[in-house]
Amino acid sequence: MSSTLRNIVVIVTLTLMVVGLAVVLTVGGFGFSLPPHNVRALATIFLNTTLNLDANYRYVSAMSPEAVTAIVWDYRGLDTLFETSVMFIAIVGALAISRGATEKLLKTSPPVLGMSLITKTITRITIVMILAVGASIALHGHLTPGGGFQGGATIAVVPMLLIIIFSIYLFSKMITIYKAVTLRSVGLIGIALSSFIVLIIAALYGGSAYIFQNQPKLHSHYGLPSYAEPILLGGTLLFFNVFETLAVAFGFAALFILFTIPEDAVKSAIMGEE
Amino acid sequence: MGRLGRVLPVSMLAFIVYIVFTGAITVYDVVTGILVSFVIGLVTADITVSNPLKPFDVRRWIYLIFYTLYYFLVAEVRSHIDVIKRILSPRMPINPGIVKIPVRVKSDYSITAVANSITNTPGTVVVEFDESGKYFYVHWIDVKRIDEEGAYKEISHIFEKYVSKVFD
Repeated sequence: MSSTLRNIVVIVTLTLMVVGLAVVLTVGGFGFSLPPHNVRALATIFLNTTLNLDANYRYVSAMSPEAVTAIVWDYRGLDTLFETSVMFIAIVGALAISRGATEKLLKTSPPVLGMSLITKTITRITIVMILAVGASIALHGHLTPGGGFQGGATIAVVPMLLIIIFSIYLFSKMITIYKAVTLRSVGLIGIALSSFIVLIIAALYGGSAYIFQNQPKLHSHYGLPSYAEPILLGGTLLFFNVFETLAVAFGFAALFILFTIPEDAVKSAIMGEE
Repeated sequence: MGRLGRVLPVSMLAFIVYIVFTGAITVYDVVTGILVSFVIGLVTADITVSNPLKPFDVRRWIYLIFYTLYYFLVAEVRSHIDVIKRILSPRMPINPGIVKIPVRVKSDYSITAVANSITNTPGTVVVEFDESGKYFYVHWIDVKRIDEEGAYKEISHIFEKYVSKVFD
C-alpha cells in the first residue's frame, strides 16, 4: 500500500517538475520575461564600447569584440586579478598542507600500469588534439568566447588523462611537481607584469599611465597595439589570456600529481617529525 | 629524420585541429597556429609517434583512405542493415555470446584500429583485450562460429587485412 502511495507521489512530483520547467522555459524563451529597458541600456553601452574604431570612442573602447573578455580583463581587470588569486591561494594552500610530498617518494611501481592498450593508444592521439583546442580557446579569448581560464582548464585535461590512463608512475617522470609549480609561477608573474606593462612603457617614454591600463585613456595616451588591419590583437587581453592559461594548466597539473600520489608513499613525509 | 621527423606529423595534426576548431584562417590564426603546434609537437612527439617513417609513407595514406571508404560505406552499412532487421523482426532473432578471436596485427595503432572497427560496427563489441596472448573477447549479437579461426574470419579478418597495411 505504502509503495503504491510512494509511486504516486513520485509520478506527480516528476510530472509537476517537467511541466513547471517547460512553462518557465517556454514563457521565458518567447520574451515574456525580458529585463526592462532601463536595465538593457547597460548591455547597449558595453556592446558600443568594447570594440569601437570610432575616434570619439578611442579613450573608452577596449578594442575587443568579445565583450565578456573586455569586461573581465579590462574594465574590471583588478577584480579579476583578485578572483584569480583566490584559486591560486587555494593551490598554494594544498601545496603547503602536503609539504614534503613529492613524486620522488614513489619507489617501486606496480608491474601492470594504467588502462588497456586500446585506451592508451587513443589517448596518445587525443592529447595532441586537446592541447590544440585548449590553445585555440586561450589565444582567441579576445575574439570569441573563451579565454585564459577556459583554455587552461581544457589543457589541464591532458595531465589528468595521462595520470589516469598511463599511471602516475609514468607521468611523474615527464613532469615533476616542482616543474609544474615553477611554470605556474611563470604564468602568475606574467599576469602581474601584464597589468603593469603599459605603465612600464609609459615610464620609458617619460610619461605616466594607470595600472591595469590596456588602451589609451584620456590622460594617458599610451597603450598596447590592438588593431593592425585586419587583425585584432587585443592589447593586454592577449597577454593576460596566455599567462592565465599557463598558470591554470600547470596549477592543475601540480595538484593532479599531488593528489594521485598514493597515501602510503607520502604519509610519513607529510606527517613530519613528531 | 630522428626527432624532427616525429615532431612534424604531430604538429601537422595539432595545426589542423587548431584551424578547424578556430573556424577561421586569418594571418593571426596561421601564425599562432604554427607556433602552438610546434610546441605541442615538441611536447607530445615522444608519446604519440614511435616510428617517424610511417606518417610519411604515401602508400599507407592511400590504403587508409581506401579502408575508410570501405569501412563506412560497405562494412558499416551492411552491419547496420543486419541489426535493423533483427530489431524490427517480431521474433527478435538474436543469438548473443562472447567469442575469443586472435589478433594478428602487430603495432599498437593497428590493434586499436581493429578493436575500434569491431566495436563501431553494430552487432559486435570488443569487451576485453588480452595483451599477453593477443586475443580479443568480442560480444557478438549473432554467434555464428565459436571456434577462434571461424570467428576471426567472420569478424575481424577483413579489418585486419587493411589495417595491417596502414599501420603495421
